[in-house]
Amino acid sequence: MSPATPLTRRTFTFSASAAIAGASRSLLHAQTPPGNRSLINGVQFGLQPFCYHDLPMIPENRPALFDRLVQNGMGMVELHATWVEPRFTTPGVSARQAREKLRDWRLHAPDDHYLKIRQEAAALGISIFTYYINFNDTMPDEEVDAIFRGAKLLGARGCVGSYGLAQAQRLIPFPARHGMVLGLHNHDNLSDPDAFSSEASIVKGLSFSNDFKATLDTRHFTAANGDCLGFLERHHERVSSVHLGDRRKNNGRSTPFGEGDAPIIEILRMIRDNKWPIMALLEFEHGTLRPAVPEVRLMFDYCKRAVV
Amino acid sequence: MNTRRFLIPVLAVTIALAVLHGQSQSPPRQDYDLAYIGPPLADPVMQHSKETYVLFGCAYCHGMNLVARGEATDLMHSALVGRDENANLIGPLLRAGIPQTAKLSPMPQFSDLSNAQIVDITRYIHYARQLGRYKELFEAKALGSGNAATGKAYADQHCRSCHQGVTDLSQAAKKYSRPSLTAKMLHPDFLDRPASWKLDQLHDTTTAEARQRHAHLLENYTESDVANLLAWLESLK
Repeated sequence: MSPATPLTRRTFTFSASAAIAGASRSLLHAQTPPGNRSLINGVQFGLQPFCYHDLPMIPENRPALFDRLVQNGMGMVELHATWVEPRFTTPGVSARQAREKLRDWRLHAPDDHYLKIRQEAAALGISIFTYYINFNDTMPDEEVDAIFRGAKLLGARGCVGSYGLAQAQRLIPFPARHGMVLGLHNHDNLSDPDAFSSEASIVKGLSFSNDFKATLDTRHFTAANGDCLGFLERHHERVSSVHLGDRRKNNGRSTPFGEGDAPIIEILRMIRDNKWPIMALLEFEHGTLRPAVPEVRLMFDYCKRAVV
Repeated sequence: MNTRRFLIPVLAVTIALAVLHGQSQSPPRQDYDLAYIGPPLADPVMQHSKETYVLFGCAYCHGMNLVARGEATDLMHSALVGRDENANLIGPLLRAGIPQTAKLSPMPQFSDLSNAQIVDITRYIHYARQLGRYKELFEAKALGSGNAATGKAYADQHCRSCHQGVTDLSQAAKKYSRPSLTAKMLHPDFLDRPASWKLDQLHDTTTAEARQRHAHLLENYTESDVANLLAWLESLK
């Protein structure tokens, strides 16, 4: 099959099953360092823990999160701040008070807090690729700096979150101060001119700073009728990761991998064959009756078949 | 969507049976997320509806028990869900989604679902809302501070068309303690009786409408409504 031949599910399954039989043997014997247990044939996979929909994203559950990542064969994670920062929303504390306490904590958080988490992850062969946090106008500059500082201590290469063009513009000076990048993560809200949703909006955001990188969410981009393959072809040098998942076009629903319109197989092969340093972070929101770990395993298997 | 004959009796029965374990159902498989989805409901039809709600990703954002996650709409208190009758509002919304929104992610559209799947999802939403609202209202702290006159006015508007006169209601107030009266007002006993599909009862519109009416009231009562109604009922003693 030539690279240009369109993939159908049948042809993919046929060719992948033949390939995986041989490749799995070599994978078994591969001496990959622990942090790269999910580096597969040149594609570095990781996980956005939203996939574990049943696991509240709180610090107390971080050991369970790391345990699940290991079970799922993941050596990389995009860690949401809520797994890291203490919660102050206890009974009797107003939302405003909790927000102020969190700000104060961020400004004075000891290095050890972050370093310990980094060590927890590293001991299990997990590296923290990015730190996910939704920057907003309630955060003064010193708080944004504190967040970048914490992310750096965690070993993250950058911060990423859900915000729009205006917030991104405000964040221009921050990544350089910390030797990091800022990820621009798209959703599919085409009705909001401030939102990252279309190719044009992401490109506009990227133009603000060379320290900005796209975190291309393939589910949302597909739902917004974007062309994931075209985007990668044109802008791969500005893409640090993809949030890899499936949805149907025209603001359609999330689906298990292979049942929607996102070209997951083609995206992964494009990353593999061009040796792009683009992380493939699995993230999905489709419903399932299976527990989260087996579900992630199934979706990850789908991806592995695409790159072996 | 003509589902009224089916939807309401099933809802009413399953609310009552929800506390019972579904002994008639097959034990869950190992690859079934029992911890997240919960034990099987007594009514297999409602269990199927719940699983449909989960499978199409509704639970991911709106919560298994309608406790919303992130920016998703709170279906437990949504006015649209409260006004919905037999998917007449939820159905079209599911099919179209909400593309125009100030939220980060618009509500997706589910135009590829069948009518039966839309009905399943809607049925579970109403079921979960009725369970949740019952719990909220029953445990509300303000139920002791109602106004009888306001309660009477509410009853005149919402109850009297079926409850002609006040005799049966005054008897109820005399017969039951405050907690029992609250429970029976929120969820009258007759709702627990399974609907019959015998031909001679198939077109019993009176009972069907009563079920629909009480389900609708339960989903839309405010704490004040319940407090006022209780105050009025107790004034009839």
